[in-house]
Amino acid sequence: MTAPMTGLAGLCADVRNELIEEAMGRGMIPLGYTCSMVPRALLAVGTLFPVRMRAPGVAGTECADVYLSSVICSYSRSLLEFALDGRYDFLGGWVFVACCDHLRRLCDNLEYNAKPDFSHTLDIPHRGGPAALEWTVEELRRLARAIERHFDVDMGDDAVRAAMVAEGELVDALRELGALRKKPQPPFSGTDYHRVLMAAQSAPPARALELVREFREAMGDASDTAPYRARFLLVGGSLDDPAYTAVIESQGGLVVADRYCTGSYPWLDPVDAGGDPFVALARQVLDGNRCPRMMEGFAQRVNYIVDLAREYAADGVIIQSIKFCDTWGVEASALVTALREAGVPVLRLEREYRQSGEGQLRTRVQAFIESMGK
Amino acid sequence: MTCVAGCDVGSLTSKAVIMDGDRIVQSVIMKSKAKPWESADEVMRQALEKAGMSMGDLAYCVGTGYGRDKMTFINEAVSEIACHGKGAQWLVPTARTVIDIGGQDCKAVKLDDAGNMVKFITNDKCASGTGRFLEVMAKVLGVELADLGALSAKSKSPVTLASACTVWAQADVIQHLNDTVPLEDIAAGVNAAMASRMAVLANNIGVARDVCMTGGVAKNEGVVASLEKALGVRIKRIRKSDPQLAGAIGAALFAKEKVDGGMR
Repeated sequence: MTAPMTGLAGLCADVRNELIEEAMGRGMIPLGYTCSMVPRALLAVGTLFPVRMRAPGVAGTECADVYLSSVICSYSRSLLEFALDGRYDFLGGWVFVACCDHLRRLCDNLEYNAKPDFSHTLDIPHRGGPAALEWTVEELRRLARAIERHFDVDMGDDAVRAAMVAEGELVDALRELGALRKKPQPPFSGTDYHRVLMAAQSAPPARALELVREFREAMGDASDTAPYRARFLLVGGSLDDPAYTAVIESQGGLVVADRYCTGSYPWLDPVDAGGDPFVALARQVLDGNRCPRMMEGFAQRVNYIVDLAREYAADGVIIQSIKFCDTWGVEASALVTALREAGVPVLRLEREYRQSGEGQLRTRVQAFIESMGK
Repeated sequence: MTCVAGCDVGSLTSKAVIMDGDRIVQSVIMKSKAKPWESADEVMRQALEKAGMSMGDLAYCVGTGYGRDKMTFINEAVSEIACHGKGAQWLVPTARTVIDIGGQDCKAVKLDDAGNMVKFITNDKCASGTGRFLEVMAKVLGVELADLGALSAKSKSPVTLASACTVWAQADVIQHLNDTVPLEDIAAGVNAAMASRMAVLANNIGVARDVCMTGGVAKNEGVVASLEKALGVRIKRIRKSDPQLAGAIGAALFAKEKVDGGMR
């Protein structure tokens, strides 16, 4: 592992990593969020910065199991375990979306047990259209007002616009970096890129931008990824452990593109900071997300994946989701059929939040590669 | 004589097959040790000894099974999913769907007309539908695992287990024992529960004829018959060799392909 890689791995290994410590040392306040539907820019105004919530290294969920039923996903369970253990006490607050029942139960139990100083839930509709847009704009303004009141920061249009510009720069840099994976021999592996993404989601945007640029410079134009047998597009819900990507790549796969909640999509779509910033962010949330929680747009979501696979010359698609995830569980079944009909080889995997069953994962990925004649 | 070998280290048993062309020279099945590399070394040693050969006599060796990455003597590792498909196709050339039930996993593999794997599905991290399920039930019933099939064949009124979950099914079996239900009826219920779990998996990839079954459980006639009923198709019995060797045979065939292709 090269020096920047070692640093990135360290950043991913700890929920309160040195980037967060560094920002807090400068008086900045981290706000945790758990869903891609939270507009990061609203959490990056003034002295605030967004942190995608993870539970790296969670060993068990004995305490959380007392509060959450057995069919709640292990991501929610792991986060509650860390919260009960006081591991998130450094956060200034939490922002949730009523995106699924699992995260709603996490929110309920977290508010009940950990009593964070600030907790806000966005109610985002499950359909698009003018009425939904109007509702979402008001929801985002409601969040802005709550943040302004609690943290005493200016959440006016200009301040939000400035945060969107800073976020946009980070997003542009990450998108450009990710596009290098279109090369036949990219300068870095999918695991490396996964680490960059996770580090970038736990730092103030300006600091994350520096990190991305440092990484880009360190990589140069080298084509030093290990020889691979097949290129993959990795799809699914929350996946914040680069070790999962590493297992896929250990079998001769190269993850060249991604479309999972904590990956480069959906938050890397550019958002126009001109005009009403709340309307622009609401449009991004409703239309740009292409999240399976939305009742409409399945065909567009399939087309997006097929187009992405072609653009990045992926040989196959791996769909992963955490067990009991209703949103991705339902979507994945339909996706498998649709992608196969489109002639895209696909492998569907269910997993736990915590890395486990590595042998089984290796076997399935290896067999998938073999089934493609690679 | 150009001999190749396949070594399949599974969670419960380890298998080695030495082949010369299209002929099995020697094979060994043994209980796996705690450390996969020790199992691999030992099963291969036994196979070579029986064949009167040494490692140097082998042109190529492919490893498979959960212990494949820990084998020190192999030239290449191939997934057990591909190996079972390859081995099954050699054992039953008309096979298009292969159902393999191993010690701690089960899988269904769909093959094309050339015997290439085109689709597969494996069980999740659960003992339901695996050899372990039968092992646990045999222990509760107090019978030998190998006798479950013959025992269930005598059943006149099989019980229905409420769940295919190993833990719940075990509780169910104990209840039936307490109710003095004949052993053969409980055994038949156990085999049927196993088959219904496997049928769900196989139907997921779409069952195409011919269907054959590999792995140790293929030797349990009770499960095979129940599975035929659940799937509504006849399962081709493997006569050419021991179905438990299918993975190792497939590995040896991959090794043979390498040798035939000039080891590209």
